[in-house]
Amino acid sequence: MNWFYFSSPATFYRLAGWLAPWFFGVAALLAAVGLYYGFIVAPTDAQQGEVYRVIFIHVPAAWMSMFLYFVMAAYSAASLTFNTRLGAMMARSLAPTGALFTFVALWTGAFWGRPTWGTYWAWDARMTSELVLLFLYFGFIALSNAFEDPRRGDRAAALLALIGLVNLPIIYFSVHWWNTLHQGSTVKLTGTSMHVAMLTGMLLMVFAFWTYSIGAALTRVRSIILERERRTRWVRAL
Amino acid sequence: MNHGFYLWMSYGATAIALAIEMATLVARRARARRLIEEERDLEAQD
Repeated sequence: MNWFYFSSPATFYRLAGWLAPWFFGVAALLAAVGLYYGFIVAPTDAQQGEVYRVIFIHVPAAWMSMFLYFVMAAYSAASLTFNTRLGAMMARSLAPTGALFTFVALWTGAFWGRPTWGTYWAWDARMTSELVLLFLYFGFIALSNAFEDPRRGDRAAALLALIGLVNLPIIYFSVHWWNTLHQGSTVKLTGTSMHVAMLTGMLLMVFAFWTYSIGAALTRVRSIILERERRTRWVRAL
Repeated sequence: MNHGFYLWMSYGATAIALAIEMATLVARRARARRLIEEERDLEAQD
């Protein structure tokens, strides 16, 4: 398969249109099974009671907020290095979904923190660095739309995305580097102490959020392609 | 301790946030279509 064939907006537009509904469908299916595991199969936590079930959206949203930022920065780097139009468009299309999951992670964390820690918010290193991530997403979106020439907006926002990458290891290692209220990682590459049903539900929701993100990014990039390429012959022929 | 409030606030807000994103995706698609139509009208006038 020639992958460069799909680096053209015209061909990628059609591919994205074909793929997006499948990703949304898989996301809905995974979310349904994940929530079934999360609410029906997974047992009540001995210490936290029922409120621990917030993890089935909090942890996937937090992971996705960092992962989407990384992918957005990778697309930004590709657009700066190779001057690819589609790379910049993909970075733009990922930013709102990344911001959404960052907001969800912060919001659900607050409603988990209140009954377990006794507070909705603390200026703890993990929470503060996650809030910085939300501001980075907002900055990226604002900067990319701040110029009349979208290509200049692409370059400025790409630089911000690359500078902001430094925040990702800070978020991840904050619980090790500082004495934080937020607990350390429960799921590691070496293993986990979680009950298998809890872990299954959580991982299903991770994959649901992941496939949803791909579907949303593909749908949004189609609109961006149409807006940018509206003066081209292939768009007028649609 | 009743944790229903915290669960509803978490899951409810997430559902609303996802619904808003879906609505913005549809609105952006409609905007792109409108821009193309405007471009076609301009071309027809020329």
